[in-house]
Amino acid sequence: MMAGIMKKLRFVIDTILQVNREKACGMLEFELKELENIFSLLIIGGFVGMPSPPVPLAIELLPYMERELTIMLARSDLAQDPIGSLMGILEVD
Amino acid sequence: MQAVAMKTNAFFLGKGGVGKTTMSAAFALSLARSGKRVLVASLDPAHNLGDVLSTKLSDIPQPVEKNLDALEIDLNKWVKRYLDESREELARTYSYNLTLNLNSFFDIMKYSPGTEEYAMLWAIEHIRCNLAGDYDVVVYDTPPTALSLRFLAMPAISNLWIAELTKLREKILSKRSTITRINPASVVASSCVDKADDKIYGKLGSIKRRLADLSSLFCKESYIAVVLNPDVLSVSEAMRIKDELDRIDMPLSGICLNKRGVSTTAWTLDRSLAGSPLFEFDFLPKGLHERDDLGSIDTKNLVADFLAAER
Repeated sequence: MMAGIMKKLRFVIDTILQVNREKACGMLEFELKELENIFSLLIIGGFVGMPSPPVPLAIELLPYMERELTIMLARSDLAQDPIGSLMGILEVD
Repeated sequence: MQAVAMKTNAFFLGKGGVGKTTMSAAFALSLARSGKRVLVASLDPAHNLGDVLSTKLSDIPQPVEKNLDALEIDLNKWVKRYLDESREELARTYSYNLTLNLNSFFDIMKYSPGTEEYAMLWAIEHIRCNLAGDYDVVVYDTPPTALSLRFLAMPAISNLWIAELTKLREKILSKRSTITRINPASVVASSCVDKADDKIYGKLGSIKRRLADLSSLFCKESYIAVVLNPDVLSVSEAMRIKDELDRIDMPLSGICLNKRGVSTTAWTLDRSLAGSPLFEFDFLPKGLHERDDLGSIDTKNLVADFLAAER
């Protein structure tokens, strides 16, 4: 019985720790996604008229940027409401 | 004491029609006849080096005479090769749907600004890495000014971008590493956190090294000469070339005044060009008909200056 209680307690503590870890990383992950988005925009911005490195440089990097491009496309969905997204991360109601 | 890089390359720049091909062919011939093993390469998409040397040329070195080989770079082939390689790499690393969408970009990429200049850089890199070892000197006949200056400036411009992108990439990797440390269960943990494993960081590094090699070739190992005629237009263009070379820290090694005596119109060499040695070549009223006619162009002083710079 004692072992069962300890197991449940352990589970609760682990869950609390994981929730805190997720909270601690939320803002960092938001910043990371922004950085990755900016990186993608810099590389392929030339296609939409933004200042960008010479196109051949972009072409050389493009094969390794699947993750960054996916993030950029996801970020563009939030483009209309960036403040809302940030408030969500900060848990401001 | 730091070793001074040897000048093993010569570039002839200038306005279209001033005689860059003639000068580079005469210079290469003179060097070859003095006992140096010479490769003369035409980078001009409108090739006429073969006509001047009376030899049919291709994009692999063809023997012209003892100690002298020549080739004409096929720019279209280099653009195609470069785009094909990128397309294959893309197909290998991306999931099918994304490749399908991006693939259409490649069909128009050959018309993008910068592609031709990069193709030229990689062609020069190919000569440097795979062919130059068989020769003492490589002489380049360049296309007219605009394209030449763009490809000469390309390593410097690209390096600025590479430096900024590398800094940003380092920031991204450091952030990923922090998140992974705090929360190993995060989705970020499955992405690359280490510089050594990050393909984008590695690619930026390899492009940087390739561009640094080319930059060293242009700035330290090359004799850069501007060809001009005794007329206002070609002198003005030579001044623009000098300004642009100064901007990218490329020293102008010499000025070749070609077709001296072709006209009686007054002209003067600007003071900004006076810092580089001037070599004068008379106008040949009968023109050039065969390779041996190049021998009538007295490149003795120019060759002596190049060899002095080589040491």
